[in-house]
Amino acid sequence: MEDYAEELRTPPVSLICLVGYPELHPTISGFLHSEQPPINVLALPEFSKISHLAGKQKGNLDSGNPGGILKRDWLIKHRTRVPSVVAALFGLDHVSGDPAQWLQVCTDLENLKSVIRGRNIKLVVVLVQSTFKDDVSEDRMIALRKRAEIDSKYLVVFAQNDTSELSQSLNRLASIFAELSNTYYREEGRRIKARLEKKSFSSAELNIRCCFKVAVYAEFRRDWVEALRFYEEAYHALHEMIALSTRLPPIQRLVEMKAVAEQLHFKVSTLLLHGGKVIEAITWFRQHISSYKRLVGAPEVVFLHWEWISKQFLVFAELLETSSATIPSTASLGSERPFTEWEFQPAYYYQLAAHYLREKRYSLDLSLSTSETSRQMEGATTIESPESVIPSVYVGQFARLLDQDFALAMQPLTDGEYVLYALAEGKRFQDSYEIIALFRKSFESYNNLKAQRMASYCSNQMAREYFAAGDFNNAKQLFDSIAGLYRQEGWVTLLWEILGYLRECSRNLGSPRDFIEYSLEMAALPILSTAGVEPSNVKEYGPAGPARHSQRENIQKEVFGLLKGQSTLMSKEGDCSLTVGEDQPLRLEIDPVSPLRVVFLGSVAFHDQTVKPGGSTLLTLSLLSQLPLPVEIDQLEIQFNQSNCNFTIKKSPELPLTESSTGEQACHVKTVPILTLEANKWLRLTFDIKSGQSGKLECLSVIASMGHHFTICCRVESPASMEDMPLWKFEDRVESFPTKDPALAFSGQKVIQVEEPEPQVDLILHTSGPALVGENFVVPVTITSKGHAVHSGELKINLVDTRGAGFLSPRETEPFSSDSLHVELVGISGSSEEHELQTGSENIKKIQASFGLLSVPFLEIGESWSGKLEIRWHRPKPIMLYVSLGYLPNSKETTAQKVHVHKSLQIEGKTPVVITHRFMTPFRRDPLLLSKIKPAPDSDPSLSLAFNETSILIVSARNCTEVPLRLISISIEVDRDEIGLSCTVRQSNEISTDLTLLVPGEEFKRVFSVTPEVASPKLSVGTVCLRWTRDSELGQPPHSGESELVTGVVTRHKLPNVNAEKAPLVSILECPPHAILGVPFSFHVRIRNQTQLLQEIKYSLEDSQSFLSSGPHNDAAFILPHSEHILGYKLVPLASGQQQLPRISVTSVRYSTGLHPSLAACTVFVFPSQPHFKTNGGVEEPKPICTE
Amino acid sequence: MASTACFIIVSRNDIPIYEAEVSSTLKKEEAAHEHQFILHAALDIVQDLAWTTSAMFLKAMDRFNDLTVSVYVTAGHTRLMLLHDSRNEDGIKSFFQEVHELYIKILLNPLYIPGSRITSSYFDTKVRGLARKYL
Repeated sequence: MEDYAEELRTPPVSLICLVGYPELHPTISGFLHSEQPPINVLALPEFSKISHLAGKQKGNLDSGNPGGILKRDWLIKHRTRVPSVVAALFGLDHVSGDPAQWLQVCTDLENLKSVIRGRNIKLVVVLVQSTFKDDVSEDRMIALRKRAEIDSKYLVVFAQNDTSELSQSLNRLASIFAELSNTYYREEGRRIKARLEKKSFSSAELNIRCCFKVAVYAEFRRDWVEALRFYEEAYHALHEMIALSTRLPPIQRLVEMKAVAEQLHFKVSTLLLHGGKVIEAITWFRQHISSYKRLVGAPEVVFLHWEWISKQFLVFAELLETSSATIPSTASLGSERPFTEWEFQPAYYYQLAAHYLREKRYSLDLSLSTSETSRQMEGATTIESPESVIPSVYVGQFARLLDQDFALAMQPLTDGEYVLYALAEGKRFQDSYEIIALFRKSFESYNNLKAQRMASYCSNQMAREYFAAGDFNNAKQLFDSIAGLYRQEGWVTLLWEILGYLRECSRNLGSPRDFIEYSLEMAALPILSTAGVEPSNVKEYGPAGPARHSQRENIQKEVFGLLKGQSTLMSKEGDCSLTVGEDQPLRLEIDPVSPLRVVFLGSVAFHDQTVKPGGSTLLTLSLLSQLPLPVEIDQLEIQFNQSNCNFTIKKSPELPLTESSTGEQACHVKTVPILTLEANKWLRLTFDIKSGQSGKLECLSVIASMGHHFTICCRVESPASMEDMPLWKFEDRVESFPTKDPALAFSGQKVIQVEEPEPQVDLILHTSGPALVGENFVVPVTITSKGHAVHSGELKINLVDTRGAGFLSPRETEPFSSDSLHVELVGISGSSEEHELQTGSENIKKIQASFGLLSVPFLEIGESWSGKLEIRWHRPKPIMLYVSLGYLPNSKETTAQKVHVHKSLQIEGKTPVVITHRFMTPFRRDPLLLSKIKPAPDSDPSLSLAFNETSILIVSARNCTEVPLRLISISIEVDRDEIGLSCTVRQSNEISTDLTLLVPGEEFKRVFSVTPEVASPKLSVGTVCLRWTRDSELGQPPHSGESELVTGVVTRHKLPNVNAEKAPLVSILECPPHAILGVPFSFHVRIRNQTQLLQEIKYSLEDSQSFLSSGPHNDAAFILPHSEHILGYKLVPLASGQQQLPRISVTSVRYSTGLHPSLAACTVFVFPSQPHFKTNGGVEEPKPICTE
Repeated sequence: MASTACFIIVSRNDIPIYEAEVSSTLKKEEAAHEHQFILHAALDIVQDLAWTTSAMFLKAMDRFNDLTVSVYVTAGHTRLMLLHDSRNEDGIKSFFQEVHELYIKILLNPLYIPGSRITSSYFDTKVRGLARKYL
């Protein structure tokens, strides 16, 4: 677009002319410029310069044939030299001044009028008021107006006394100028239109020229619709003229027409796009191209045609790119779809511009070669240098400039001369760069549109252009990027083409590796067509040649010839050759994503999943190649991650002559009868290999050597995880498994697990039944060496919750306290003598709550070592004990792997004794406890004790374990931290020193008396401390100090808090312990009032069959404060045995509750006669004992 | 009868599974591969357009100079693409419809894996026959 002149590219701007009074010109022109629409100003400082405006003597338009269609400078003339309005500026003082000045004004005006008369230019007279007081008489004004022959409104007084006046004057001037220039352009247009309508012209050229002029004048007036109409008319007129005109020689005639058409088309497209009519513009462009595309012209200058077409596309692309018109969405176009999506994109046009420019280059090359050959044939006919050829006055015409008699003259050219000129011009341009730039532009915008395939098409064309221009580096880079896409999408033929170019690029760049890689990939492409190719068509193909099976074979032969050093490749220029030889060995790496995977694919499957260390296992190596011809492999090297497993495969007849290495390596050479890869046929080789160290044994790669200097290193894949070959996947071919065994093909792995060596050491954990909570439970550990000496042995101990509640790891129990831990590892010890020996620094001994580490001393074969683990349970809970021993079988190999022995043991933790307790009131003594009458909702009435009264506490301990236990002591520890001594607890009988044996399930009871000394609702009684030990441990020697035996294990049982309250009434039943049949005895009920109130009681006695009673039967009584009331009875037993006393019920009126003694309290044993008790000391009265 | 026509079937994963030059006269200046390049590039537009319309036959999707690309998208998103320079839309449509029928017959073959290359010579002969008939 930049090729076009400025006046063509921008819309025209009306031009006016200012004459005289030069000091005002900058103000006025600046103002007019900024007007909307702007007005250009041609400023003439003096009236003597007005001859510039004078037109040349007009030749008669109608006479004869015009020289051309459009004059080259017509448009610029009207934009810069021919004003529509001339404004004559006079000072007001000149007009009103003396007659000489007036006369001068008149003369100037006359001259001006004579100049502009022929052109219909409008005249405006401006009188410039220089001072405030200037004024001019009405007569002079009229005279001036008459002289100038103008309307009174075009005689303007320009006042400039202050800014408001100045701007007012400027505004008035601008509006007058705009009006007049509009009139001027309309009149001019109308004048020419009238001629058009009359068809008063002799030739088609004039018709076109007139249309063009009308359109331009319309543009001056901003009448875009009319401008468009006449441009289109001119265009059509031109199109009709093509066949008719004979004015110029045929070649030049076509050139001129195309140049004019281009100009008209440009105008039309600009106007259409400007008006936002994108669809119309594209339709117009399409018609434009289709109507001119066939006008190829003479064969010598075909290139001019293609250049022109290319330019059309380029210009339209640029117009489309710069236009702000929105592209209608594809949906709005409806189902008819006259346009493709790309036709709205500049990229499409750029791409085609590049395409035609390339077309142009081909034809130019062709024309140049023919012209050169013809010139050589004709001999050097003297043709003047075309340098003197210049564009002539008409658009699209050229003429020779002749220097005749110091005057320049134009001479028309003959077609032959013109062709020479055009060829010379064509040679000057570097089309390649232009083409590449256009493709790049297109590529970039397609990329932005996310049209990846279009972009790669452009990039492909770009690369080909680079290739043609000999810039192989750039070409290779581009081709490489496209090849990726085609590989991915499987467009094999296209990939073939691209690889062909890449091959040539690397050949020319002197890169044997790339050349071989591309060639191998090409040879392995799935192209199976075997159709023959007639030699005449070979030229159609790129450097790759036709995509045929035979071509693949050729390529493979060529490459292998090169690889074996049999041939060298010369690059096209011959300056560098490709060789693979001693000095340049070549090694190709193929991994699972490489495109060369189709060339050489290796898969390895172990037949087993695990193997013993040092044991042997089977391994199948499968190789596949898609090269069309069989490939001979000289040697295969299999590499593992454990390098001592590596081995080499050779063909059997060949003796390893070159193998001069030591015997150790030679033993890794295996031989097979055949090492030839057929196309699409697995070569399966199965070997027996010895496993190495324990751990993972992985096959890494296979290195195939072909020839002396070429190796392919292929990363092997597992058959189980092997992917299909990318391009061959969908081909019609026989698919076979890499291994003979189909199961192995689906599950085979290139990795095998080599197991650890078998440990030859016994690790024994003993346990003596369940552990008891609180004791230090000892688990003896014994390590016995059977076949291995134990070097730097290490014992790891772990305690794990069996219920999976988590590892009792030290991290979890970070706020470390023994209470929060349920089970705790408290100690590890070795056997005593070792323990003493190894207190040094090398003895590792770490203990944490659930983890321990202990070093084991060196053990010879047959020796044993034992240690003990002490574990303490805080809660009854089963745990898993894991013990693992890691050791080295011998001390020499420090790198050798440790052997591990694992043992685990589940140990139950049990509660040893269950302690229960019970409070009782003393026998036949019932304090009235108010809390028992009205129990609070949340309190336990049984836990209420009478203040200052002695209560009985029975503590019983029951052995819950399966082993007998010995009780050492049982006592109640009163909490000292309570408020003083709140209650006294006394043991009822003296402490027994012997150890009570408690067999499983047995219960042991002890009685305490408790006297609360403080009345408190929450009285702490104390904690029962039970010391016990296992019965079995008593006889054994103490293993962890004397203290264990004495102290035993303490089990504590916290007694609940009791409610100690004052009892208002206490009833005491007094009765002998036994009675004798027929012997009367007395029976009292003593009721003590402990309050300060008078208490009324009611009592009644029920008769009993077994007793004869005397005393008050039914009565009421008052008891004074702090005094007692005694009810006395005399009873005679009538029956012997256990007898119920007559039942007495006492009711407190105030508390409305009765005192009912318990059934046991109301029972007495009646002897039939006086009993006799024989004891050591004599007769002893049986004491009331508390039995339940 | 078209002077140039290149017919390609592209599977749903963008891989060409059948290709045929069905031109009556082979143009010298246009390499056979060039057609495939153009058809490959046209896939971009098909990709965008196929989802905007319910029609199977997308005529004149893309233009390259005189050559036009018409596409027929099957329900399985297999694309039958034809590069042609003739304006015989009805013929092209019938051609596509008949080839689609042939393609479905190929799909019905239990030994044919959908998405793999069509190597049936019967199919090839038939397609070329249809091209002669309609294009």
